[in-house]
Amino acid sequence: MISHRDRNAQRISALDERAEALHLKRDMGIADARAMHPSIDVVEADPEADRRLLEGLADWCDRYTPLVALDGADGLFLDVTGCTHLFGGERAMLDDILSRFFHQGFDVRAGLAATPGAAWAAARFAGDRIVPCGEEEALLAPLPLAALRIEPATRASLESVGLRTAGAVMAAPRAPLARRFGALLLLRLDQALGRLDEAVSPRLPVAPLSVERHLAEPVTLTEDIERLVGMLAVTLKTDLERRGEGARTLALLLFRVDGAVSRIAIGTSRPMREPRLIQRLFHERLAALEQDIDAGYGFDLVRLSVLTSAAFDMQQADLAGEVIDDGADIALFADRIRARLGESAVLQPVVVESHLPERAVVTIPFTETPRRTTPPKKPDRLQAPKTIFPPERPIRLFRSPEPIDVPATEMPEGPPLNFRWRRALYRVTRAEGPERIAAEWWREVPSDEAASTRDYFRIEDADGRRYWLYRQGLYGGASQVPPRWFLHGVFA
Amino acid sequence: MAMTAVARETVFALRRQIAKIEGTLPERLAAPAAATSDADVNTDLTIVRRGIAAALPDAFLPIGVERLDAALSGGLPKAALSEIHGSETRDAGAVAGFALSLTSLILKQTPGLPVLWIGTTEIFREAGFPYARGLHAAFGIEPEQLLFSEAPRLVDALWVAEEAARMTALAAVILEIRGNPQRLDLTATRRLHARAQGAGRPVFLLRQAAEPEPTAAPVRLIVASAPAAPRDTIAGPLAGTIGRPAFTLTIGKSRTALPGQFTLEWNPDERAFDERTSDERRGEGRERAKNPVPVVSLSGRGKDPAAASGAVLAFPAIGSSAAISPTARDQPSRPQRAAHLGPRRAG
Repeated sequence: MISHRDRNAQRISALDERAEALHLKRDMGIADARAMHPSIDVVEADPEADRRLLEGLADWCDRYTPLVALDGADGLFLDVTGCTHLFGGERAMLDDILSRFFHQGFDVRAGLAATPGAAWAAARFAGDRIVPCGEEEALLAPLPLAALRIEPATRASLESVGLRTAGAVMAAPRAPLARRFGALLLLRLDQALGRLDEAVSPRLPVAPLSVERHLAEPVTLTEDIERLVGMLAVTLKTDLERRGEGARTLALLLFRVDGAVSRIAIGTSRPMREPRLIQRLFHERLAALEQDIDAGYGFDLVRLSVLTSAAFDMQQADLAGEVIDDGADIALFADRIRARLGESAVLQPVVVESHLPERAVVTIPFTETPRRTTPPKKPDRLQAPKTIFPPERPIRLFRSPEPIDVPATEMPEGPPLNFRWRRALYRVTRAEGPERIAAEWWREVPSDEAASTRDYFRIEDADGRRYWLYRQGLYGGASQVPPRWFLHGVFA
Repeated sequence: MAMTAVARETVFALRRQIAKIEGTLPERLAAPAAATSDADVNTDLTIVRRGIAAALPDAFLPIGVERLDAALSGGLPKAALSEIHGSETRDAGAVAGFALSLTSLILKQTPGLPVLWIGTTEIFREAGFPYARGLHAAFGIEPEQLLFSEAPRLVDALWVAEEAARMTALAAVILEIRGNPQRLDLTATRRLHARAQGAGRPVFLLRQAAEPEPTAAPVRLIVASAPAAPRDTIAGPLAGTIGRPAFTLTIGKSRTALPGQFTLEWNPDERAFDERTSDERRGEGRERAKNPVPVVSLSGRGKDPAAASGAVLAFPAIGSSAAISPTARDQPSRPQRAAHLGPRRAG
């Protein structure tokens, strides 16, 4: 028996058959129940865990149809339009679902109908029933009002005027009903009877392409899964070729015999349809997830879906049949690294128009598009450099400037004589600068710290190491905060 | 006589085969020029002398400094793992700078190919992340050519490096590691070396704050920074300025086992190394005349500097003979400025 807290009282929220046999009911107080039967076993409700379980079941139901939607806290909608023949008809499919759930230890009731409303009513009030198309009215007529999926308040007021079954509501004139009980009642009624369309919104986006393989004997070995991926990818290739597309995101779904579903996704930096390459990417991903995937008793259904795809450009091969394309090698290399180490494992710098050094270059995960594989062109005479002597920039930049101690400067605005960085003292022998870099006032809220200008110096220490220091703020400025010194980068 | 010649030929062939099987890079001893010319050098024939095979000249990357190339028997092996050491983390700038100058030399031969820089999160945090703008200015490596890979663990970094080392689509792979980790042992470096040999691309192993230890790399160079020479101007070196990057290079290990210490200066405009000898540092002006490199470095983006704006008028230059101040470098020179301001002042 499961209890939940409702208005300061522990009440029964769910109970099993044996408890029902003891004449206990839902919403009864736990104290009352214990008074009747002191030996009952009460467990606190955990809606979060229930939710997770339901989502797990929804994942598992993915094997029947990609359109699975959650219904409240205790139901699932499966849109099986066009899927039933794969399982030998509606009755066979329903039996298969019920028996599999039964063997997993769930008590499941199911209904199959042409509209979600009718199926909902059939599952909850008519017991495993398949309602042929057009017989929704006959199904609903004898059922109580609860079968119409309406608010309890509406239900109570309908009952108070003597309309106790769905049939009675259907027979009543519509206009007064709508006026008195709101539009929702008629909407639900119309939806259940198929007069209005009701869309089941699936939990997960439906993949445009997917191929799957049911296995008589469950597989457990990673190598077997990889081989299966290869076989599925071969099937997928023909579909992709027909559409003139290549896959950009692929997902591999592994359905374990006991109902757990593992979902493994990979991204590619250029559209891909070659089975060998897809298999290789999944090889890396599976190797990285070795510990996370628990094969248990094995997987009995493996599905490979294309989540997103893009137009695939055919490569022109030369007469020897070879395509020389270094870009493809690098794209595949980057994909493999990312499949194993995560999305940000391969980065590329992008130069941004900004004079703040840390903003002038951003690193983004590797993408295929703007790469240049041909040798860079000689700079055009017309596009002259912006300055004849571009300011010197360090070759390494610290992610965040490191604060340094500067005991003394020769002049207030000048470079330091020595400085202490990471607990070591450096003597400055030569300095160039300052190069003043102001904050980008058009971007930031001018706080005192961020908006103060920086004066950058190129510094060489006694050993010949070259650093890039800056002083934030000015000596004797308007704000009484003394300027601070930072080390921002190192030169070659 | 004929018999011995044939026998020698056979022995040489066998040695060549052994060298090939072992995968050792055949290299040249520092053979005197006379010896090279009398032994009829055939380009596609590997000459074997004193037990060590001589390689095709293409197998090496000449650094461009005669003494150093001779000590390394022709340059840095191109298809190999090369170690570049820095004794402290604070030398990371110099070590990375030297590796990038070598990369820049390689990119001269294979333009357009990307360069992959692999590092652990630790080293990027301790020594700073490579800054694409600086790399472009100092080494001519375009930002589009750069790829970075940051791995949280050394194992991952090594895996990425091994995968990258076998790719011919990369111009060079730079793997940066800090300290002397257990995992980076003889086996790991041998794997990297073998892959680099297979692909024919160099792998630079940058080891910051590391002690030399046995590895499979045929060459180990120990790099420290050296004080830069002052900037060169038309009026001679400008005191107190910091010019081109300079490195002190010590050969820690090479096939020829010749010791040597060199002070190299990287010329970012020519993308070439110059050697700085000790007497050159003392009397800077005298040596410069002999230097084939132009006194004034060509501007970075082409041979012609941008023309001065406005017409040059015949105004008396104000203080034209004064020394050019350090800040004048970033501004138009005096006469141009006078011309620019001239009409306003005159009218």
